[in-house]
Amino acid sequence: MTVYLDNNATTMPAPEVREAMLPFLGDMYSNASSFHSFGTAVREAVEQARSRVAALIRARPEEVYFTSGGTESDNWAIKGAMARHGSGALLVTSAVEHPAVLEIASASGSLGFESVLVPVDSGGNADIEAYRRALEREPALVSMMMANNETGVIFPVGELADLAHQAGALFHTDAVQAVGKVPVDLEARTGIDLLSISGHKLHAPKGIGALFVRRGVDLEPFMHGGHQERGLRSGTYNSPGIVGLGMAAELAASLPEEAHSRLLELRTRMEIGILERCPGSAIVARESDRLPNTLTAIFSGVESESTLMMLDMEGVCASSGSACSTGSKDPSHVLKAMGIGSNLSNSAIRFSLSRYTTADEVDLALDVLERAIAKLRRISPYV
Amino acid sequence: MWKYSEKLMDHFMNPRNVGEIEDADGHSEVGSPQCGDAMTLDLLVDDDENIEDVRFRTFGCAAAIASASALTEMVKGEKIGQALDIRNRQIADYLGGMPPEKFHCSVMGREALTSAVADYMRKRDELERAARELLASPPDDIPDALRAARITRAHSKHVWVASEADLPEPDLEWLGLRLSGLTGRRVEARRDET
Repeated sequence: MTVYLDNNATTMPAPEVREAMLPFLGDMYSNASSFHSFGTAVREAVEQARSRVAALIRARPEEVYFTSGGTESDNWAIKGAMARHGSGALLVTSAVEHPAVLEIASASGSLGFESVLVPVDSGGNADIEAYRRALEREPALVSMMMANNETGVIFPVGELADLAHQAGALFHTDAVQAVGKVPVDLEARTGIDLLSISGHKLHAPKGIGALFVRRGVDLEPFMHGGHQERGLRSGTYNSPGIVGLGMAAELAASLPEEAHSRLLELRTRMEIGILERCPGSAIVARESDRLPNTLTAIFSGVESESTLMMLDMEGVCASSGSACSTGSKDPSHVLKAMGIGSNLSNSAIRFSLSRYTTADEVDLALDVLERAIAKLRRISPYV
Repeated sequence: MWKYSEKLMDHFMNPRNVGEIEDADGHSEVGSPQCGDAMTLDLLVDDDENIEDVRFRTFGCAAAIASASALTEMVKGEKIGQALDIRNRQIADYLGGMPPEKFHCSVMGREALTSAVADYMRKRDELERAARELLASPPDDIPDALRAARITRAHSKHVWVASEADLPEPDLEWLGLRLSGLTGRRVEARRDET
Protein backbone atom coordinates (compact mmCIF):
# COMPACT_ATOMS: atom_id res chain seq x y z
CA MET A 1 0.00 0.00 0.00
CA THR A 2 1.25 3.46 -0.89
CA VAL A 3 0.60 6.49 1.28
CA TYR A 4 1.31 9.39 -1.03
CA LEU A 5 2.35 12.48 0.92
CA ASP A 6 4.40 14.15 -1.80
CA ASN A 7 1.70 16.21 -3.49
CA ASN A 8 3.89 19.30 -3.80
CA ALA A 9 6.05 17.25 -6.14
CA THR A 10 3.11 16.14 -8.20
CA THR A 11 -0.49 15.09 -7.69
CA MET A 12 -2.61 12.20 -8.84
CA PRO A 13 -4.58 13.13 -11.95
CA ALA A 14 -8.19 13.32 -10.80
CA PRO A 15 -10.36 10.51 -12.24
CA GLU A 16 -12.65 13.16 -13.75
CA VAL A 17 -9.61 14.74 -15.40
CA ARG A 18 -8.54 11.45 -16.92
CA GLU A 19 -12.08 10.83 -18.19
CA ALA A 20 -12.29 14.29 -19.71
CA MET A 21 -8.99 13.81 -21.50
CA LEU A 22 -9.61 10.38 -22.97
CA PRO A 23 -11.63 11.47 -26.04
CA PHE A 24 -8.80 13.82 -26.99
CA LEU A 25 -6.36 10.94 -26.96
CA GLY A 26 -8.75 9.06 -29.25
CA ASP A 27 -11.48 10.17 -31.64
CA MET A 28 -11.05 13.85 -30.90
CA TYR A 29 -7.51 13.98 -32.22
CA SER A 30 -7.98 16.89 -34.58
CA ASN A 31 -5.74 19.97 -34.58
CA ALA A 32 -7.52 22.75 -32.72
CA SER A 33 -6.22 25.27 -35.25
CA SER A 34 -7.67 23.46 -38.26
CA PHE A 35 -10.41 25.08 -40.33
CA HIS A 36 -12.71 22.07 -40.57
CA SER A 37 -15.48 21.46 -38.10
CA PHE A 38 -13.55 18.48 -36.68
CA GLY A 39 -10.84 20.94 -35.66
CA THR A 40 -13.37 23.50 -34.47
CA ALA A 41 -14.87 20.97 -32.08
CA VAL A 42 -11.50 20.48 -30.43
CA ARG A 43 -10.94 24.24 -30.42
CA GLU A 44 -14.20 24.67 -28.53
CA ALA A 45 -12.99 22.26 -25.87
CA VAL A 46 -9.72 24.18 -25.62
CA GLU A 47 -11.59 27.45 -25.17
CA GLN A 48 -13.91 25.93 -22.59
CA ALA A 49 -10.81 24.82 -20.67
CA ARG A 50 -9.41 28.35 -20.92
CA SER A 51 -12.60 29.74 -19.44
CA ARG A 52 -12.46 27.22 -16.61
CA VAL A 53 -8.85 28.09 -15.74
CA ALA A 54 -9.75 31.80 -15.92
CA ALA A 55 -12.73 31.24 -13.61
CA LEU A 56 -10.55 29.50 -11.01
CA ILE A 57 -8.30 32.55 -10.70
CA ARG A 58 -11.04 35.11 -11.49
CA ALA A 59 -9.39 36.33 -14.67
CA ARG A 60 -10.65 36.83 -18.21
CA PRO A 61 -10.29 33.86 -20.57
CA GLU A 62 -8.21 35.95 -22.99
CA GLU A 63 -5.71 36.54 -20.20
CA VAL A 64 -4.92 32.82 -19.93
CA TYR A 65 -2.19 31.35 -22.14
CA PHE A 66 -1.47 27.64 -22.15
CA THR A 67 2.12 26.53 -21.66
CA SER A 68 3.93 23.26 -21.01
CA GLY A 69 3.96 23.82 -17.25
CA GLY A 70 5.14 25.92 -14.35
CA THR A 71 8.76 26.15 -15.42
CA GLU A 72 7.83 27.41 -18.86
CA SER A 73 5.35 29.89 -17.42
CA ASP A 74 7.99 31.28 -15.04
CA ASN A 75 10.59 31.46 -17.81
CA TRP A 76 8.25 33.13 -20.23
CA ALA A 77 6.91 35.63 -17.71
CA ILE A 78 10.32 36.74 -16.50
CA LYS A 79 12.36 36.57 -19.68
CA GLY A 80 9.44 37.86 -21.74
CA ALA A 81 8.96 40.88 -19.47
CA MET A 82 12.67 41.63 -19.04
CA ALA A 83 13.18 41.44 -22.83
CA ARG A 84 11.03 44.59 -23.12
CA HIS A 85 13.66 46.54 -21.21
CA GLY A 86 17.21 47.51 -22.07
CA SER A 87 20.22 45.74 -20.71
CA GLY A 88 20.89 46.44 -17.07
CA ALA A 89 17.20 46.41 -16.13
CA LEU A 90 16.55 45.00 -12.66
CA LEU A 91 14.62 41.91 -11.57
CA VAL A 92 13.64 41.71 -7.92
CA THR A 93 12.78 38.27 -6.58
CA SER A 94 13.05 36.35 -3.31
CA ALA A 95 15.73 34.05 -1.96
CA VAL A 96 13.24 31.20 -1.54
CA GLU A 97 11.79 30.97 -5.05
CA HIS A 98 11.49 27.71 -6.93
CA PRO A 99 14.58 26.99 -9.07
CA ALA A 100 12.49 27.86 -12.17
CA VAL A 101 12.69 31.47 -11.01
CA LEU A 102 15.89 31.45 -8.96
CA GLU A 103 17.99 29.99 -11.75
CA ILE A 104 16.84 32.77 -14.07
CA ALA A 105 18.03 35.28 -11.49
CA SER A 106 21.35 33.41 -11.31
CA ALA A 107 21.66 33.53 -15.09
CA SER A 108 20.55 37.16 -15.30
CA GLY A 109 24.07 38.33 -16.15
CA SER A 110 24.18 36.34 -19.36
CA LEU A 111 20.52 37.20 -20.07
CA GLY A 112 21.35 40.89 -20.04
CA PHE A 113 19.73 42.07 -16.84
CA GLU A 114 20.50 42.37 -13.15
CA SER A 115 18.79 40.72 -10.24
CA VAL A 116 18.48 41.16 -6.52
CA LEU A 117 17.16 38.64 -4.00
CA VAL A 118 14.91 39.70 -1.14
CA PRO A 119 15.73 37.74 2.04
CA VAL A 120 13.19 36.06 4.32
CA ASP A 121 12.97 35.93 8.11
CA SER A 122 13.19 32.82 10.30
CA GLY A 123 9.48 32.20 9.67
CA GLY A 124 10.00 32.17 5.91
CA ASN A 125 8.21 35.51 5.45
CA ALA A 126 9.56 38.08 3.01
CA ASP A 127 11.58 40.84 4.65
CA ILE A 128 9.35 43.77 3.77
CA GLU A 129 11.94 46.41 4.62
CA ALA A 130 14.47 44.74 2.31
CA TYR A 131 11.72 44.48 -0.31
CA ARG A 132 11.01 48.21 -0.09
CA ARG A 133 14.70 48.99 -0.39
CA ALA A 134 14.96 46.77 -3.48
CA LEU A 135 11.99 48.59 -5.02
CA GLU A 136 13.82 51.89 -4.58
CA ARG A 137 16.22 50.64 -7.21
CA GLU A 138 13.34 50.89 -9.72
CA PRO A 139 13.14 47.32 -10.98
CA ALA A 140 11.48 46.49 -14.27
CA LEU A 141 9.92 43.34 -12.85
CA VAL A 142 9.25 41.81 -9.47
CA SER A 143 8.71 38.06 -9.11
CA MET A 144 7.58 36.84 -5.69
CA MET A 145 6.07 33.39 -5.26
CA MET A 146 2.56 33.04 -3.90
CA ALA A 147 3.30 29.99 -1.73
CA ASN A 148 6.55 28.21 -1.03
CA ASN A 149 6.88 24.63 -2.25
CA GLU A 150 8.99 23.49 0.72
CA THR A 151 7.49 25.28 3.71
CA GLY A 152 4.08 26.23 2.34
CA VAL A 153 4.61 29.80 3.57
CA ILE A 154 2.28 32.23 1.77
CA PHE A 155 3.59 35.63 0.70
CA PRO A 156 1.10 38.53 0.79
CA VAL A 157 1.40 38.95 -2.97
CA GLY A 158 -1.53 41.36 -3.21
CA GLU A 159 0.29 43.90 -1.05
CA LEU A 160 3.68 43.09 -2.57
CA ALA A 161 2.22 43.67 -6.03
CA ASP A 162 0.74 47.03 -5.04
CA LEU A 163 4.12 48.15 -3.69
CA ALA A 164 5.78 46.98 -6.92
CA HIS A 165 3.30 48.99 -8.98
CA GLN A 166 3.91 52.09 -6.90
CA ALA A 167 7.58 51.65 -7.79
CA GLY A 168 6.66 51.34 -11.46
CA ALA A 169 7.45 47.63 -11.80
CA LEU A 170 5.46 44.79 -13.28
CA PHE A 171 4.61 42.01 -10.86
CA HIS A 172 4.82 38.27 -11.52
CA THR A 173 3.98 35.53 -9.07
CA ASP A 174 4.81 31.85 -9.27
CA ALA A 175 1.50 30.50 -8.00
CA VAL A 176 2.24 26.90 -8.93
CA GLN A 177 1.76 25.63 -5.37
CA ALA A 178 -1.09 27.96 -4.50
CA VAL A 179 -3.62 27.62 -7.33
CA GLY A 180 -6.22 25.02 -6.46
CA LYS A 181 -5.22 25.04 -2.76
CA VAL A 182 -6.03 28.59 -1.71
CA PRO A 183 -8.36 31.09 -3.37
CA VAL A 184 -6.75 33.25 -6.03
CA ASP A 185 -8.71 36.32 -7.08
CA LEU A 186 -7.09 38.34 -9.82
CA GLU A 187 -10.12 40.59 -10.08
CA ALA A 188 -9.39 41.78 -6.55
CA ARG A 189 -5.60 41.52 -6.74
CA THR A 190 -5.23 43.97 -9.58
CA GLY A 191 -1.53 44.45 -8.94
CA ILE A 192 -0.66 40.98 -10.18
CA ASP A 193 0.30 41.24 -13.85
CA LEU A 194 1.62 37.74 -14.48
CA LEU A 195 0.86 34.47 -12.69
CA SER A 196 2.22 30.96 -13.32
CA ILE A 197 0.13 27.81 -13.04
CA SER A 198 1.23 24.19 -13.27
CA GLY A 199 -1.33 21.52 -14.17
CA HIS A 200 0.15 18.55 -12.41
CA LYS A 201 0.19 20.30 -9.04
CA LEU A 202 -3.61 20.47 -9.08
CA HIS A 203 -4.58 17.01 -10.26
CA ALA A 204 -4.15 17.66 -13.99
CA PRO A 205 -1.47 15.79 -15.94
CA LYS A 206 2.17 16.72 -16.40
CA GLY A 207 3.19 18.79 -19.39
CA ILE A 208 0.46 21.40 -19.18
CA GLY A 209 0.39 24.73 -17.44
CA ALA A 210 -0.74 28.27 -17.96
CA LEU A 211 0.45 31.81 -17.68
CA PHE A 212 -1.95 34.58 -16.75
CA VAL A 213 -0.99 37.76 -18.59
CA ARG A 214 -3.09 40.72 -17.53
CA ARG A 215 -4.66 42.56 -20.43
CA GLY A 216 -2.39 45.32 -21.59
CA VAL A 217 0.82 43.74 -20.30
CA ASP A 218 3.39 43.59 -23.06
CA LEU A 219 5.32 40.36 -23.20
CA GLU A 220 7.90 39.12 -25.69
CA PRO A 221 6.65 35.94 -27.44
CA PHE A 222 8.18 32.81 -25.97
CA MET A 223 7.77 30.32 -28.78
CA HIS A 224 7.88 31.55 -32.34
CA GLY A 225 5.99 29.44 -34.82
CA GLY A 226 2.46 28.88 -36.01
CA HIS A 227 0.88 31.85 -34.21
CA GLN A 228 -1.09 29.88 -31.61
CA GLU A 229 -2.06 31.74 -28.45
CA ARG A 230 -2.22 35.00 -30.40
CA GLY A 231 1.31 34.55 -31.62
CA LEU A 232 2.78 34.72 -28.14
CA ARG A 233 3.16 31.01 -27.51
CA SER A 234 3.22 29.00 -30.70
CA GLY A 235 2.99 25.25 -30.90
CA THR A 236 0.11 22.92 -31.72
CA TYR A 237 -2.46 22.95 -28.95
CA ASN A 238 -1.88 20.18 -26.43
CA SER A 239 -5.60 19.53 -26.46
CA PRO A 240 -5.64 16.49 -24.10
CA GLY A 241 -3.53 18.36 -21.54
CA ILE A 242 -5.49 21.59 -21.93
CA VAL A 243 -8.80 19.81 -21.48
CA GLY A 244 -7.34 18.02 -18.44
CA LEU A 245 -6.20 21.30 -16.91
CA GLY A 246 -9.62 22.80 -17.59
CA MET A 247 -11.34 19.95 -15.78
CA ALA A 248 -8.87 20.16 -12.89
CA ALA A 249 -9.59 23.88 -12.59
CA GLU A 250 -13.32 23.19 -12.67
CA LEU A 251 -12.93 20.59 -9.89
CA ALA A 252 -10.80 22.92 -7.77
CA ALA A 253 -13.26 25.78 -8.24
CA SER A 254 -16.20 23.65 -7.19
CA LEU A 255 -14.63 22.17 -4.07
CA PRO A 256 -16.96 22.36 -1.08
CA GLU A 257 -16.28 25.00 1.56
CA GLU A 258 -15.07 22.42 4.07
CA ALA A 259 -12.36 21.03 1.74
CA HIS A 260 -9.87 23.62 2.97
CA SER A 261 -10.60 23.07 6.66
CA ARG A 262 -10.58 19.30 6.20
CA LEU A 263 -7.09 19.50 4.71
CA LEU A 264 -5.99 21.81 7.51
CA GLU A 265 -7.32 19.36 10.10
CA LEU A 266 -5.38 16.50 8.53
CA ARG A 267 -2.21 18.57 8.37
CA THR A 268 -2.63 19.57 12.02
CA ARG A 269 -3.22 15.93 12.95
CA MET A 270 0.05 15.06 11.23
CA GLU A 271 1.97 17.91 12.88
CA ILE A 272 0.73 17.14 16.37
CA GLY A 273 1.45 13.45 15.79
CA ILE A 274 5.01 14.23 14.72
CA LEU A 275 5.69 16.53 17.66
CA GLU A 276 4.22 14.08 20.17
CA ARG A 277 5.65 10.86 18.81
CA CYS A 278 9.05 11.92 17.49
CA PRO A 279 11.10 13.56 20.23
CA GLY A 280 13.44 16.28 18.99
CA SER A 281 11.22 17.21 16.06
CA ALA A 282 10.05 20.66 15.04
CA ILE A 283 7.74 22.04 12.37
CA VAL A 284 9.27 24.65 10.09
CA ALA A 285 7.48 28.03 9.91
CA ARG A 286 4.72 26.71 12.12
CA GLU A 287 3.54 30.20 13.12
CA SER A 288 3.50 31.55 9.57
CA ASP A 289 0.57 31.74 7.18
CA ARG A 290 0.94 28.52 5.20
CA LEU A 291 -0.76 26.38 2.57
CA PRO A 292 -3.16 23.96 4.29
CA ASN A 293 -1.52 20.88 2.75
CA THR A 294 2.20 21.43 3.38
CA LEU A 295 4.41 20.72 6.36
CA THR A 296 8.14 20.44 6.71
CA ALA A 297 9.44 18.79 9.87
CA ILE A 298 12.98 18.67 11.17
CA PHE A 299 14.01 15.50 12.98
CA SER A 300 17.21 16.56 14.68
CA GLY A 301 20.05 14.06 14.60
CA VAL A 302 18.51 12.00 11.81
CA GLU A 303 19.59 12.42 8.21
CA SER A 304 16.74 12.99 5.78
CA GLU A 305 17.69 10.51 3.08
CA SER A 306 17.82 7.73 5.64
CA THR A 307 14.38 8.74 6.90
CA LEU A 308 12.97 8.86 3.37
CA MET A 309 14.41 5.43 2.68
CA MET A 310 12.79 3.91 5.75
CA LEU A 311 9.48 5.59 4.95
CA ASP A 312 9.70 4.33 1.39
CA MET A 313 10.22 0.76 2.54
CA GLU A 314 6.84 0.97 4.26
CA GLY A 315 5.18 2.63 1.27
CA VAL A 316 5.16 6.20 2.57
CA CYS A 317 6.18 8.76 -0.06
CA ALA A 318 7.62 12.06 1.20
CA SER A 319 10.52 14.25 0.15
CA SER A 320 13.46 16.23 1.44
CA GLY A 321 14.83 19.59 0.39
CA SER A 322 18.27 18.29 -0.39
CA ALA A 323 19.73 15.39 -2.29
CA CYS A 324 23.10 13.84 -1.55
CA SER A 325 23.66 12.95 -5.16
CA THR A 326 26.69 14.12 -7.03
CA GLY A 327 29.10 14.25 -4.15
CA SER A 328 27.86 17.37 -2.49
CA LYS A 329 24.70 17.59 -0.51
CA ASP A 330 23.40 21.09 -0.96
CA PRO A 331 21.13 21.93 1.90
CA SER A 332 17.75 23.34 0.90
CA HIS A 333 18.16 26.97 -0.20
CA VAL A 334 14.80 27.75 1.37
CA LEU A 335 15.72 26.49 4.85
CA LYS A 336 19.15 28.10 4.50
CA ALA A 337 17.53 31.44 3.67
CA MET A 338 15.48 31.06 6.87
CA GLY A 339 18.71 30.75 8.85
CA ILE A 340 18.39 27.03 9.50
CA GLY A 341 21.84 25.42 9.70
CA SER A 342 22.90 22.64 7.37
CA ASN A 343 22.77 19.93 10.04
CA LEU A 344 19.13 20.68 10.78
CA SER A 345 18.16 21.26 7.17
CA ASN A 346 19.72 17.91 6.28
CA SER A 347 17.23 16.44 8.76
CA ALA A 348 14.16 18.01 7.14
CA ILE A 349 11.32 16.02 5.60
CA ARG A 350 8.42 17.53 3.68
CA PHE A 351 4.98 15.98 3.79
CA SER A 352 2.44 17.41 1.37
CA LEU A 353 -1.16 16.24 1.47
CA SER A 354 -3.94 16.48 -1.08
CA ARG A 355 -7.71 16.43 -1.02
CA TYR A 356 -7.47 12.68 -1.59
CA THR A 357 -5.43 12.11 1.60
CA THR A 358 -7.33 10.32 4.37
CA ALA A 359 -6.97 10.37 8.15
CA ASP A 360 -6.09 6.67 8.04
CA GLU A 361 -3.21 7.42 5.71
CA VAL A 362 -1.94 10.15 8.00
CA ASP A 363 -2.11 7.77 10.98
CA LEU A 364 -0.32 5.03 9.08
CA ALA A 365 2.41 7.44 8.02
CA LEU A 366 2.81 8.55 11.63
CA ASP A 367 3.24 4.94 12.79
CA VAL A 368 5.93 4.33 10.19
CA LEU A 369 7.58 7.66 10.91
CA GLU A 370 7.73 7.10 14.66
CA ARG A 371 9.47 3.76 14.17
CA ALA A 372 11.89 5.10 11.55
CA ILE A 373 12.94 8.11 13.60
CA ALA A 374 13.38 6.03 16.77
CA LYS A 375 15.49 3.53 14.88
CA LEU A 376 17.70 6.13 13.21
CA ARG A 377 18.15 7.97 16.48
CA ARG A 378 19.61 4.84 17.99
CA ILE A 379 22.28 4.93 15.27
CA SER A 380 22.88 8.68 15.46
CA PRO A 381 25.97 10.20 17.10
CA TYR A 382 23.98 13.35 17.87
CA VAL A 383 21.46 11.97 20.38
CA MET B 1 15.75 7.02 -5.64
CA TRP B 2 18.98 5.09 -5.35
CA LYS B 3 19.22 1.53 -6.44
CA TYR B 4 20.76 -0.26 -3.47
CA SER B 5 21.68 -3.91 -3.20
CA GLU B 6 19.82 -6.19 -0.86
CA LYS B 7 22.89 -6.53 1.32
CA LEU B 8 23.32 -2.78 1.58
CA MET B 9 19.67 -2.40 2.54
CA ASP B 10 20.10 -5.13 5.14
CA HIS B 11 23.06 -3.31 6.70
CA PHE B 12 21.05 -0.08 6.62
CA MET B 13 17.94 -1.58 8.19
CA ASN B 14 19.87 -3.78 10.63
CA PRO B 15 23.19 -2.09 11.21
CA ARG B 16 25.74 -4.20 13.04
CA ASN B 17 27.86 -3.00 15.95
CA VAL B 18 25.98 0.21 16.72
CA GLY B 19 26.84 2.07 19.92
CA GLU B 20 29.93 2.93 21.87
CA ILE B 21 32.49 1.08 24.00
CA GLU B 22 33.11 2.17 27.54
CA ASP B 23 36.82 2.61 28.14
CA ALA B 24 37.60 2.23 24.44
CA ASP B 25 41.22 1.90 23.33
CA GLY B 26 40.61 4.06 20.31
CA HIS B 27 37.89 6.68 19.77
CA SER B 28 37.18 8.94 16.84
CA GLU B 29 34.68 11.59 15.82
CA VAL B 30 34.74 12.52 12.16
CA GLY B 31 32.50 14.55 9.93
CA SER B 32 32.15 15.32 6.29
CA PRO B 33 31.68 19.04 5.82
CA GLN B 34 30.77 18.17 2.23
CA CYS B 35 27.62 16.32 3.30
CA GLY B 36 27.09 17.30 6.92
CA ASP B 37 27.45 13.63 7.78
CA ALA B 38 29.05 12.69 11.09
CA MET B 39 30.27 9.54 12.76
CA THR B 40 31.78 8.23 15.99
CA LEU B 41 33.73 4.99 16.25
CA ASP B 42 35.11 3.13 19.26
CA LEU B 43 37.68 0.33 19.20
CA LEU B 44 38.61 -2.32 21.70
CA VAL B 45 42.10 -3.65 20.93
CA ASP B 46 43.37 -6.87 22.48
CA ASP B 47 46.90 -7.54 23.73
CA ASP B 48 48.01 -8.78 20.31
CA GLU B 49 46.60 -5.67 18.63
CA ASN B 50 43.67 -7.41 17.05
CA ILE B 51 40.39 -5.51 16.90
CA GLU B 52 38.40 -7.23 19.59
CA ASP B 53 35.31 -5.06 19.32
CA VAL B 54 34.19 -2.04 17.33
CA ARG B 55 31.11 0.15 17.69
CA PHE B 56 29.87 3.10 15.64
CA ARG B 57 27.23 5.77 15.33
CA THR B 58 26.45 7.54 12.06
CA PHE B 59 24.43 10.54 10.94
CA GLY B 60 24.17 10.00 7.24
CA CYS B 61 22.36 8.44 4.33
CA ALA B 62 21.61 4.74 3.91
CA ALA B 63 24.92 4.20 2.07
CA ALA B 64 26.87 5.89 4.86
CA ILE B 65 25.17 3.82 7.57
CA ALA B 66 25.50 0.55 5.66
CA SER B 67 29.17 1.24 4.82
CA ALA B 68 29.98 1.90 8.46
CA SER B 69 28.16 -1.25 9.51
CA ALA B 70 29.92 -3.34 6.85
CA LEU B 71 33.29 -1.93 7.81
CA THR B 72 32.84 -2.92 11.44
CA GLU B 73 32.10 -6.49 10.38
CA MET B 74 35.07 -6.55 8.04
CA VAL B 75 37.60 -5.38 10.62
CA LYS B 76 36.44 -7.29 13.68
CA GLY B 77 39.17 -9.77 14.66
CA GLU B 78 41.64 -8.24 12.23
CA LYS B 79 45.06 -6.88 13.16
CA ILE B 80 44.85 -3.10 13.36
CA GLY B 81 47.40 -2.75 10.56
CA GLN B 82 45.40 -4.96 8.25
CA ALA B 83 42.20 -3.09 9.08
CA LEU B 84 43.81 0.10 7.84
CA ASP B 85 44.46 -1.53 4.47
CA ILE B 86 40.76 -1.92 3.70
CA ARG B 87 39.84 0.18 0.68
CA ASN B 88 36.52 1.85 -0.07
CA ARG B 89 36.19 -0.39 -3.09
CA GLN B 90 36.25 -3.43 -0.79
CA ILE B 91 33.49 -1.95 1.37
CA ALA B 92 31.37 -1.36 -1.72
CA ASP B 93 32.09 -4.90 -2.95
CA TYR B 94 31.25 -6.34 0.47
CA LEU B 95 27.86 -4.63 0.21
CA GLY B 96 27.23 -5.98 -3.27
CA GLY B 97 28.10 -2.67 -4.92
CA MET B 98 26.70 0.83 -4.58
CA PRO B 99 25.90 3.70 -6.95
CA PRO B 100 29.11 5.53 -7.95
CA GLU B 101 27.62 8.81 -6.68
CA LYS B 102 27.49 7.20 -3.26
CA PHE B 103 31.13 6.08 -3.04
CA HIS B 104 32.01 9.21 -1.14
CA CYS B 105 29.55 8.21 1.60
CA SER B 106 31.67 5.15 2.41
CA VAL B 107 34.80 7.25 2.87
CA MET B 108 33.67 8.50 6.25
CA GLY B 109 33.70 5.01 7.79
CA ARG B 110 37.30 4.50 6.76
CA GLU B 111 38.24 7.90 8.07
CA ALA B 112 36.64 7.06 11.39
CA LEU B 113 38.47 3.74 11.57
CA THR B 114 41.82 5.28 10.63
CA SER B 115 41.32 8.01 13.16
CA ALA B 116 40.33 5.57 15.93
CA VAL B 117 43.36 3.35 15.22
CA ALA B 118 45.54 6.47 15.26
CA ASP B 119 44.00 7.41 18.60
CA TYR B 120 44.87 3.95 19.96
CA MET B 121 48.42 4.20 18.61
CA ARG B 122 48.88 7.67 20.04
CA LYS B 123 47.83 6.45 23.49
CA ARG B 124 50.00 3.37 23.18
CA ASP B 125 53.08 5.29 22.09
CA GLU B 126 52.52 7.96 24.70
CA LEU B 127 52.35 5.31 27.41
CA GLU B 128 55.42 3.52 26.13
CA ARG B 129 57.42 6.76 25.98
CA ALA B 130 56.33 7.75 29.48
CA ALA B 131 57.32 4.31 30.83
CA ARG B 132 60.70 4.29 29.12
CA GLU B 133 61.47 7.81 30.29
CA LEU B 134 60.48 6.92 33.84
CA LEU B 135 62.82 3.94 33.92
CA ALA B 136 65.60 5.84 32.17
CA SER B 137 65.64 8.54 34.82
CA PRO B 138 64.14 6.80 37.83
CA PRO B 139 62.77 8.91 40.68
CA ASP B 140 64.19 8.40 44.19
CA ASP B 141 61.17 6.43 45.39
CA ILE B 142 61.27 3.83 42.61
CA PRO B 143 61.23 0.25 43.93
CA ASP B 144 64.62 -1.40 43.57
CA ALA B 145 63.37 -4.25 41.40
CA LEU B 146 62.31 -1.76 38.72
CA ARG B 147 65.75 -0.16 38.49
CA ALA B 148 66.99 -3.03 36.37
CA ALA B 149 63.69 -3.49 34.45
CA ARG B 150 62.98 -2.51 30.86
CA ILE B 151 59.82 -1.86 28.82
CA THR B 152 59.32 -4.44 26.09
CA ARG B 153 56.12 -3.22 24.46
CA ALA B 154 52.95 -1.29 25.11
CA HIS B 155 49.20 -1.18 24.56
CA SER B 156 47.02 1.85 25.17
CA LYS B 157 46.09 0.52 28.61
CA HIS B 158 49.20 -1.32 29.71
CA VAL B 159 52.95 -1.76 29.31
CA TRP B 160 54.92 -4.97 29.54
CA VAL B 161 57.96 -4.96 31.77
CA ALA B 162 60.81 -7.46 31.66
CA SER B 163 63.67 -7.92 34.09
CA GLU B 164 66.36 -10.51 34.88
CA ALA B 165 65.39 -10.05 38.51
CA ASP B 166 62.11 -10.94 40.14
CA LEU B 167 59.36 -8.31 39.71
CA PRO B 168 57.08 -8.31 42.75
CA GLU B 169 53.38 -7.45 42.18
CA PRO B 170 53.40 -4.31 44.41
CA ASP B 171 56.29 -2.94 42.35
CA LEU B 172 54.28 -3.39 39.13
CA GLU B 173 51.31 -1.72 40.82
CA TRP B 174 53.56 1.21 41.78
CA LEU B 175 54.61 1.56 38.17
CA GLY B 176 51.05 1.35 36.93
CA LEU B 177 49.89 4.04 39.33
CA ARG B 178 52.79 6.30 38.47
CA LEU B 179 52.10 5.90 34.73
CA SER B 180 48.39 6.52 35.30
CA GLY B 181 49.38 9.80 36.89
CA LEU B 182 51.65 10.70 34.00
CA THR B 183 49.19 9.83 31.23
CA GLY B 184 46.00 10.82 32.97
CA ARG B 185 44.48 7.44 32.14
CA ARG B 186 44.07 4.26 34.15
CA VAL B 187 46.88 2.04 32.93
CA GLU B 188 48.73 -0.95 34.37
CA ALA B 189 52.15 -2.53 34.16
CA ARG B 190 52.39 -6.24 33.40
CA ARG B 191 55.21 -8.69 33.65
CA ASP B 192 56.42 -9.73 30.20
CA GLU B 193 56.53 -13.53 30.47
CA THR B 194 57.96 -14.11 27.03
